[in-house]
Amino acid sequence: MLEHILTVSFFTAFFAAAVRMAVPLIYAGLGEVISEKAGILNIGMEGIMISGAFFSFAGTYYSGNAAVGILCGMAGGMLVSSIHSFLCIKLAQNQSVSGIAINTFMLGVTSFLYKLMSNGQSYQQITPLAKIRIPLLADIPFLGNAFFNQDIMTYGVYILILAVTFFYKKTAVGLAFSAIGENPRSADTAGIPVHRYQYIAMAINGIFGGLGGAFLVLVQVGNFSESMTSGRGYIALAAVILGKYMPCGMFGAALIFGGANALQIRLQAVGVPLPTQALAMLPYIITLIALLCSAGKNSAPEALGVPYIRESR
Amino acid sequence: MNVKNKSNMIQMAAILAIAVIVWTLLIVLSNANPLEAYQMFFNGIFGNLNGFGEVFVKATPLIFTGLGCAVAFRTGFFNIGAEGQFYMGALGSAWVALTCTGVPGILRIILAIAAGFICGGVWALIAAMLKAKLGISEIIVTIMLNYIGINILGIAVRTFLMDPQGSIPQSEKLDASVTLFRFLKPTRLHTGFLLAVATVFIIWFIMEKTTMGYEIKVVGFNQRAAQCNGISVVKNVVISACLSGGLAGIAGAVEVLGVQRKLLEGISGECGYTAVLIALLAGNNPGTVLVTAILFAGLEVGTNSMQRQMGVPSAIVDILIGLMVLLILGRKIMEMKKMKKLKEGK
Repeated sequence: MLEHILTVSFFTAFFAAAVRMAVPLIYAGLGEVISEKAGILNIGMEGIMISGAFFSFAGTYYSGNAAVGILCGMAGGMLVSSIHSFLCIKLAQNQSVSGIAINTFMLGVTSFLYKLMSNGQSYQQITPLAKIRIPLLADIPFLGNAFFNQDIMTYGVYILILAVTFFYKKTAVGLAFSAIGENPRSADTAGIPVHRYQYIAMAINGIFGGLGGAFLVLVQVGNFSESMTSGRGYIALAAVILGKYMPCGMFGAALIFGGANALQIRLQAVGVPLPTQALAMLPYIITLIALLCSAGKNSAPEALGVPYIRESR
Repeated sequence: MNVKNKSNMIQMAAILAIAVIVWTLLIVLSNANPLEAYQMFFNGIFGNLNGFGEVFVKATPLIFTGLGCAVAFRTGFFNIGAEGQFYMGALGSAWVALTCTGVPGILRIILAIAAGFICGGVWALIAAMLKAKLGISEIIVTIMLNYIGINILGIAVRTFLMDPQGSIPQSEKLDASVTLFRFLKPTRLHTGFLLAVATVFIIWFIMEKTTMGYEIKVVGFNQRAAQCNGISVVKNVVISACLSGGLAGIAGAVEVLGVQRKLLEGISGECGYTAVLIALLAGNNPGTVLVTAILFAGLEVGTNSMQRQMGVPSAIVDILIGLMVLLILGRKIMEMKKMKKLKEGK
């Protein structure tokens, strides 16, 4: 058994699968980092992703153009996040309640729309995005193929990670965007438009979440199916915590989740007699342990999930 | 108080009206005649005994899990883990029902349900302790525990609880003496429903008539005030969380003993997530949870009949319940407009 596992081809395939599994989580996680740093907890990420998945599929299917599909996915995600913005920023309602309701609502909406769309036709498939091999980098043993022989959306996520990290570490606006999640009242006193920034953060949250859903359709699967996100929105929330609310940390956490998922698939392919569930639940256990270890030195934004009402004292 | 109640009633009626309008629109969108569709809807529920019984069969786990969520929400413990607690309860009760074969029927049923309560309660206790002692958000922990619970059940039905004769991942059938009695044959309606109704009364009594319920509610209203009056926040959060998990666990137990009569994957039908919305719609009030759960189950049964007869997607159920919670959150805009008017008036 072991000689089937300890081979170059096994590891190459494993790393490639791990990255592919991780990318939707990274997109969604990045969106969640931005909104949570601004103090808005969005449990509705699952609903945003499924919306992005459906609308990117519909867009690509009807236009025949993946770029249109990606745009539709972003718009679909943003549409859903704007519901959350309205309820949680404008009306200062409970963010968890709104998120849960959005998830159920969007699950229903996308299933309904897909039924209408596929009416009469048995199977709809779109061409997945082509792989673009980056010369030299892709030749790095083991990892090169995994990271640098991918599609345009995967490369996009690398750039976004760098851009968001730069934004928070090096720019004044970035500092303002994380200040409103730590202490909105001080931020307001310092002249930062708290609510406007929160709206912007939520819009980006929706766009990125939508991209995560679009990746599932346009790269991983090539078609849409009901509730195809199957909890990835929740895993993205876990990745954010595991990554200590930093883009790079979240990137690593998402790779762990993707890796556990890929490992389970690879081991099954090789025929290891282990219930796949044992591996499937590893990432969740890791997250719980990570939460336990980081207890006390809580890295969550101070005012996460607390609505900021300007008039109150 | 009365004025507020009145405007509250009007708003709820408006939300219901919007829901019905959206519902009709969705039916029209799926190329069906609304009148015919609604006829099929009610036909599915009241047309025959089977459909009618099925409403209460489906309502039973929702009542338990909905009550569970309501109890937890009362202390401000946002338990989204009913799904995982349901699975652990189902696992615990199935294990007792299958292995304690030496215990005679009725006693084994009681033991199995108790095992469901304990397993579900322990599953919630983990999240409660982490929240109370270490301040870790219960939302994330309960979500993680959901997935862990689902996977543990998956492992169980593939290993130590797998039917030795079968090849599919599920346990062997429970022997007839440990299954819950079906009292309205040929429907699947079982005594678990009666237990659910009784539990509603018990929870109502605990919440409204005992010191424990009072303390739980005070903690939910104002933690600091509770602390200042010598009511332990930690203790009450832990108690309500365990009670909440235990109720979800009983839901799992009753589903195993009453409906499926064996342990299998996907046994909850995602009712743990629906329960969160039901508790919220019902304002965390035990009696209202009972009514809401039955109405929701009716909606599900009727919509399934619409799907079978006229091809109207049953996803409508999710759309409607999600929409109603969103509208309830959104109705605050009316209040804000009123406040604005008052201010401008002055």
